[in-house]
Amino acid sequence: MKNEFINQINSYLPNVDYCSFRFVSKYTNVLSVTRNVLEPIEIIEDEGLMVTVIHNGGYGYSATSDLTREGILKATEEAKKWSAFTKGNLIHQPTPPADIINNGKYFTHEQDTWAKESNKDKVDYLYEINKALKSKPTISNWGASFRYNKIETLFTDTNGSKFRQNISYILPQLIACAEYKKEIQTRTYGGHAHARQIGYNFIKDSNLIDTATSIANDAIELSMAPNCPSKKCDALIAPDQMILQIHESIGHPLELDRILGDERNYAGSSFVNLDMFGKYKYGSEKLNISFNPEQESELASYNFDDDGTPAQKKYLIQNGLLKKPIGSFYSAQRAEQDYVACSRATSWNRPPIDRMGNINMEPGDTPLSEMIAVIEDGILLETNNSWSIDDYRNKFQFGCEKGTIIKDGEMKGVVKNPNYRGITKDFWHNLAMVGDESSYSILGTANCGKGEPNQTIFVGHATPSCLFKDIDVFGGE
Amino acid sequence: MREYFENITRELFKNIKSNELLIINFDAEESKFVRLNKGKIRQAGSVKQISMTLSLSTKDKRNLKSYVRLNGSFERDISTLIKTLNYLRRELPDLPKDPYMMFSTSVHSTEITSEKQSTSDEVILEHILNSATKLDLVGIFSSGSIYTGLANSLGQKNWHEDYSFSFDYSIYNKNNNAIKLNYSSKKWNKDDYDFILNKGIEKLAILSNTEKKITTGEYRVYLEPSALNEIIDMMAWGGFSYKSNKIGTSPLHLLNKKERKLNELISIDENIKDGLSANFNSDGFIKPEEISMIKKGEFIESLTSPRSSLEYSVVHNAASPSEYPCSIDMGAGSISDDKILETIDNGIYISNLWYLNFSDRNNGRMTGLTRFGCFLVENGKLTAPINTMRFDDSVYSMLGDNLIGLTSSRELLIDSGTYEERSTSSARLPGAIVNNFKMTL
Repeated sequence: MKNEFINQINSYLPNVDYCSFRFVSKYTNVLSVTRNVLEPIEIIEDEGLMVTVIHNGGYGYSATSDLTREGILKATEEAKKWSAFTKGNLIHQPTPPADIINNGKYFTHEQDTWAKESNKDKVDYLYEINKALKSKPTISNWGASFRYNKIETLFTDTNGSKFRQNISYILPQLIACAEYKKEIQTRTYGGHAHARQIGYNFIKDSNLIDTATSIANDAIELSMAPNCPSKKCDALIAPDQMILQIHESIGHPLELDRILGDERNYAGSSFVNLDMFGKYKYGSEKLNISFNPEQESELASYNFDDDGTPAQKKYLIQNGLLKKPIGSFYSAQRAEQDYVACSRATSWNRPPIDRMGNINMEPGDTPLSEMIAVIEDGILLETNNSWSIDDYRNKFQFGCEKGTIIKDGEMKGVVKNPNYRGITKDFWHNLAMVGDESSYSILGTANCGKGEPNQTIFVGHATPSCLFKDIDVFGGE
Repeated sequence: MREYFENITRELFKNIKSNELLIINFDAEESKFVRLNKGKIRQAGSVKQISMTLSLSTKDKRNLKSYVRLNGSFERDISTLIKTLNYLRRELPDLPKDPYMMFSTSVHSTEITSEKQSTSDEVILEHILNSATKLDLVGIFSSGSIYTGLANSLGQKNWHEDYSFSFDYSIYNKNNNAIKLNYSSKKWNKDDYDFILNKGIEKLAILSNTEKKITTGEYRVYLEPSALNEIIDMMAWGGFSYKSNKIGTSPLHLLNKKERKLNELISIDENIKDGLSANFNSDGFIKPEEISMIKKGEFIESLTSPRSSLEYSVVHNAASPSEYPCSIDMGAGSISDDKILETIDNGIYISNLWYLNFSDRNNGRMTGLTRFGCFLVENGKLTAPINTMRFDDSVYSMLGDNLIGLTSSRELLIDSGTYEERSTSSARLPGAIVNNFKMTL
């Protein structure tokens, strides 16, 4: 059916300098049990087509959910009108690629498919998890959910390129809140970090009953714990906080459309400028960051971006040196830089823009136990719960769900409301140790917001635990 | 669009059995988006999207819903929707009963429509592009009609149709300082646009003065309505939700429990009557015209959804399932605009705050940054732009003991958000002068 559809719409391509049709079909299913009650199940089926026209010095798009012949032709005419209107008024006149993708394909490998397990069995498992979460009377709120997303893209253009990609991902989410003397503390699993391109076997293999018991116990302990002290000390940052640190203070500032000013009215700009590539020391020698769409099961792995650019791994920062921006084929034309396949749209109804894909911290060579052993005065920071950074991606403040004091190489008790702040330009130079493969975790977040019109998209981050020196940490009221 | 909605819902209800209730929520928009950078077009295009959510329930309290994207053609869509309906019907018996399921059973039909304006987008865009030839202007123009409908098999029909446009933009100087501006309306008026732009250009001139670096510490500040809106928006992350206050994840749960108070000057309503959002929720309940949530610094009423009402045995006020406000209306104060700088005397004038989040949610403490048009005020005069600063302060401090006053004039801020679809949220609020505002980085 898909081949039939792509061949059918291919015949509607207009006679212009360049035109592409990008069809997207999205399926979402969310099952959620909160405080032992099944919430209304979410089933979303969404499909539509984006037409992009580059013609005679102009550029325009039109997106429609009307997939009849008339609907697609009408959208094509609309895109052509925009192309005519923008001629002479564009900030950059794009030159389409000359390369052709011949029937390219990408499919997420789902060992056990989402549909294989019945809704009843999934919901029964969520009830079991709820039972483990509500393990003690002081748990004031609890819940668990499974989200499944499947995104199919069919692409064809006037160059003769065609490709088909099926990306599916699963996100388990658990929450436990504990109350002690009107102090409420929350522990979660999954929400900001554990989305993966993987089958339902991921849920079954994750041992979520033990995880539920563990986060419930953590929430109770945190509700009775002292506030994080205010001081400058070592910070050992766990992967489920590292991904946020990488995302906000490396991923976003390296996005080329920010550097070119497109996002200045909304998501912000960057302290990075074009002159810094190849010259600027972003961090210590230990810092190695890659754009890696080839990492199996990571959230933003794919073979092609939404402009049809073939995807491959490239280093953005190597041994602390800034090498490449996260810039798509067209942004790279504007900036005369090398590109990565990062032109991505949230769906058929938004145009592609420069986006993170999988932005990964390459593993180092230090086991976690060795990093803990060398800390005289420090804190282990786990699981992001607050994020804030300025519009040039410099002054940041992040909060975590759980802090554990480390003294002379030993864990010395839990503290609540651990926050830390710093300045990106300095922070990465304080990177002292990078964890080895044993702490390396493949993670991803499903909701990164950016763009005008606004778009959220899923991005992957794989990282080990890392040790930073001289970090300003502090607690709550 | 209305006719399509009527025809398709009528046909669907013919397929409903006597023990079933079907609620249909309809959303559509025909939008144009033009993105600008450096006064030129970056991306331009149109989006047409139509969707329906079918929610099928049975008398034994089983319910299942499905969201379906549609073509807009009756023949093609009705067959898709019948298939969806049959799928829901097949799955329903396997689902557990939903103890918190509640739908409106009293039929209350409503209709709100507005006419599309006569000025074409091309004319508006030509004017904008001409006005930007000598400016470093960046932002987005969005326009078009938004349609929201509801129909249920009991006979209720609600329709809300609205045309609006929004130009949300910033103008930059050579030092990368900027002023943020917005012109949103239902009817284009070139003079109104020019007035807003020219006021912005005047302000931008002051930003060209040499920047003064301020250090961490406590400052007397003026928060323009846009800046104050960011703080109120953070409070709304569960703050006004009945459920969040009940389970304790609300940043205002101590206010809700009468453990803390805000300044007596603070009164906040959810004002559906004067907002842009539809006056019905997805379960078919009609929202009250106004809900007083905070009055004279005390928590009065939460936004309570029908689900929360059954879970906690309280009366609901037709709030959405998220229990998030969509039409904030904050009471004015007594400081006239021409007294703002005099009242600050020495401090900081903050046009916008940005990227707020909690540093201690339990105690209503939040952090964020200054952005766009922030100035040092010396002896009652704007003297220089300041460097970007991070604040970290509690709502009980900023809008409590340290609140000096609110302005007598208020601004209507129309949300220019376009995630998934164009937002219909809005907020009307004054500016605020705050003492000992804590800058931390």
